[in-house]
Amino acid sequence: MINFEEELKRFQPIPEVNQAEEAIYNNDLRDISDIVMQVSEEIRASYEQNQKTAGRMLR
Amino acid sequence: MATKRPVLCPNCGAQIRKTGYCSACYMHIGVVRKAFNTSDYYYNVAYDKAVARDLSGAIESLKTSLRYNKKNVMSRNLLGLIYYEMGEVVMALSQWVMSVNYQSTNNLASRYLKELRQDPAGLAEVDILAKKFNMSLAYAQSEDYDLAVLQLKSTLASNPHFVKGYLLLALIYIHCDNYEKARKTLRRVLKIDKANPLAIHYLHDMGDSDENIIQMRMESVEGDGLLDEEYTEEIAVTKEKTYSGNGFTSLIRDIMDKTKGTTVKTGEFGEVGFFKYSGMYVIVGLVLGILLLFFVVMPSKERQLKEENDQLIKTYSEELAQKNTTIETLNSQLNQLTQQIYNMSISDSGEGNPLPDYTGVQHGMSDEDIQNLIDNE
Repeated sequence: MINFEEELKRFQPIPEVNQAEEAIYNNDLRDISDIVMQVSEEIRASYEQNQKTAGRMLR
Repeated sequence: MATKRPVLCPNCGAQIRKTGYCSACYMHIGVVRKAFNTSDYYYNVAYDKAVARDLSGAIESLKTSLRYNKKNVMSRNLLGLIYYEMGEVVMALSQWVMSVNYQSTNNLASRYLKELRQDPAGLAEVDILAKKFNMSLAYAQSEDYDLAVLQLKSTLASNPHFVKGYLLLALIYIHCDNYEKARKTLRRVLKIDKANPLAIHYLHDMGDSDENIIQMRMESVEGDGLLDEEYTEEIAVTKEKTYSGNGFTSLIRDIMDKTKGTTVKTGEFGEVGFFKYSGMYVIVGLVLGILLLFFVVMPSKERQLKEENDQLIKTYSEELAQKNTTIETLNSQLNQLTQQIYNMSISDSGEGNPLPDYTGVQHGMSDEDIQNLIDNE
């Protein structure tokens, strides 16, 4: 049986024309390249951190 | 000897190193190519779905395509086009703007945006549509179903491809137990978007089988009267639900039962003819007119007459006072003159004709005898 209240929650207000700019900004999704770049950035940062730690330990 | 052209990263455009990694974004070219190919694959899937009018499916595939490559201009353009077809123009606009942002030349989205810009009236209409839908959603949330239905019908009349509007209308009809109209509404959705998951979910919930749904897709929606039926019926439908339990339901049901034999019945509720009550409206109008005459026009007229009357009385009073003054003046003059005459008569009493001698007049004498006596003297 359909729960009206629950179903109604699926419906969200649609953006008006003056909210188009906001819709465009919100639309900027992340693709797989962004994710890979983020992961590689994190790995690089972690690598550099490890290098620094190892250097300090050697000294 | 020909120089070897450097391989550029499809993601950022920088040079790819010999190791296969980009010198700027450090992405491996193999990964980027794989992602872009997958994006194109999903675009092709979406395109096939869009051609088959499975717009919801196409949207899902295009979103997947953009997750692999957000700069896939073709996917963005098609996504915008599908949003536009489903009546969500602002969403379409945002996709096309992003598309032009990624590729400013030789882009179909530029033409779409240009066409939209050249039609400010159309954009204003889109704005009104969004406002009306949002308003009807608010009405539905506050349980003003009749107003929500009226607003949605008005929205859909101006934009008959607005899928979200149909879905909300169908949901309200289902909530008001008006399944026949809900089916009509959902049939319209299936005409635009053949596999709309929400529409199919609602139809399944109303007990429709898959065969029925397939059949519904083939049926024509022309002349189903969904948007041109009279508003009074909507109010009757939703009021019954709203006021259930306080006697209003039974009253409506009685009226409907009485009219059952005389009117053409569609769906669960009898049609309420608008012109059927035109005579009654005329009588009510006349009564209101008479009441207006008695309570508004007449008192003002009466007030005006009273004012005129007061003015007249005032004028006459002034005239009367003036005349009284004149009379008093004349009376005083008369008194003066009388006094003068009296004085003159006293002064003339020794010289003028003497008065007759009345010494012989006795009590009980007739006028004739008195006259004879005077004559004899």
